[in-house]
Amino acid sequence: MEQGAKIIIIDDNTDYLFTMETFLKRNGFETLTAEDGKKAMELIQKERPDLILMDIMMEGLFSGFQLSKKLQSDPDLKNIPVIGISGIGPELGIQKDKHLLLRKYFDSDNFFEKPVDKNKLLAKMKEILEG
Amino acid sequence: MTKSEYSSNLLDLGYRYLIDTLPCYLSIQDSSLHILFANQTFRNDFGNGTGKLCHMVYKGSPDRCPSCPVQKTFKDKKVHISEETVQLYNGSMAQMIVHSAPIMDITGNVSAVVEMSTNITKVMEMQKELTLLGKTMAILSHDIKNILEGLQGGAYVVDEAIKDGDMKLARKGWDITKRNITEISTVVQNILYSSKKRALEYQKVAPDEIVREAVALFQDKAKNMDIALRAQANRALPLVNIDPYSIHRMLNNLIWNALQACKNDNEKGSHTVVVRADFYDRLHFMFEVEDNGIGMDEETRNNIFKEFFSTKGHGGTGLGLIVVEKIVQEHEGKIEVLTTPGKGSTFRVILKIN
Repeated sequence: MEQGAKIIIIDDNTDYLFTMETFLKRNGFETLTAEDGKKAMELIQKERPDLILMDIMMEGLFSGFQLSKKLQSDPDLKNIPVIGISGIGPELGIQKDKHLLLRKYFDSDNFFEKPVDKNKLLAKMKEILEG
Repeated sequence: MTKSEYSSNLLDLGYRYLIDTLPCYLSIQDSSLHILFANQTFRNDFGNGTGKLCHMVYKGSPDRCPSCPVQKTFKDKKVHISEETVQLYNGSMAQMIVHSAPIMDITGNVSAVVEMSTNITKVMEMQKELTLLGKTMAILSHDIKNILEGLQGGAYVVDEAIKDGDMKLARKGWDITKRNITEISTVVQNILYSSKKRALEYQKVAPDEIVREAVALFQDKAKNMDIALRAQANRALPLVNIDPYSIHRMLNNLIWNALQACKNDNEKGSHTVVVRADFYDRLHFMFEVEDNGIGMDEETRNNIFKEFFSTKGHGGTGLGLIVVEKIVQEHEGKIEVLTTPGKGSTFRVILKIN
């Protein structure tokens, strides 16, 4: 793995940002955080991270989704790999379709449900960064 | 055949007592839907309807029911079923399953139709409760998943801090853990509330006291979150007739949501949650919980009570509002939500003073 790969963590839960940041820093990553889609976009443009960890359900239902759409439409940013994270599981009636949509969008391999298994996440990040 | 002929025929057969005591509403109707005969159970709940139009007696409506099974039976001589909402003599509404069957004369024509209605209100209520239970379980699993994430995260930070002997980091991890413990206790209280069938215990209480107590309970939490939490109660309000335990639960949920809505808002420099009690009109008073937090867009606002909705990873939100709705319904009150995305929300609960 690239030593000190730059990771941007996007989540509107500040506790979650802090714990994820602590975890990734202690595993040799350089981390930056953003609490909403707008700030995240600015940070991504400025910092060009190696990988993005994105909570999908920030502010309105699809802001993480919208952000990743924006990234995809930007030729300079569309190759930055994104791992989607969500507290929404498939068990929630009306949300099921949205959940499936998200899974499809992120490709189920790059999608984690909360609570995130940190070891699996780390393995996935290494795979993406080394691959 | 006239009304009296039908009655005497049935009497002659000796079935009068049996028909009268059937645990369902039985009537015989002619092709213009006039009631020729009604059994005692029918008369007990709908008054003496004989000679009157069926839809007038059942619904007080001059119009025939769109799915009237009796008319269909007159047409095709077959048995028909429909579901209707009717109003009982005492004013209460009931869900009915209505069956109709033909009474033929010797030439094979339908001379009258017998209609049998069963009150399924209780079944419908059970069905609603089951739906609510399913919804509750789904929300619960989501809330618990998020709390677990928080607990695991907090514990991880504490572990790392212990390894390094870093007390400052340990404090941060411990704070995260504690916040999630608070959240799980909120969730548990809401589960208890929504799962227990408990009759309301009405008491005469002062709304301003309820508001002050609720605000006092959250004062420390609000302070830690850097949010100003204020009580604003009109002291001129009379004592009102409510179940203080449920209303406390309701206000706690609304205040907790308001604090979360403020915490999730990164745009404003300062945040305030105001909890009010005031007159609504002559017969009603209201509780209001107003925040200048993140607000809701239209889709969110339309869905908060209907479907699961998460304003974010913090637990308690979804189930909390379902409990609020349940309490308002139990009190025969009304809830209004005023909200602007980015500006904040006000939840207003309107209740009868007496």
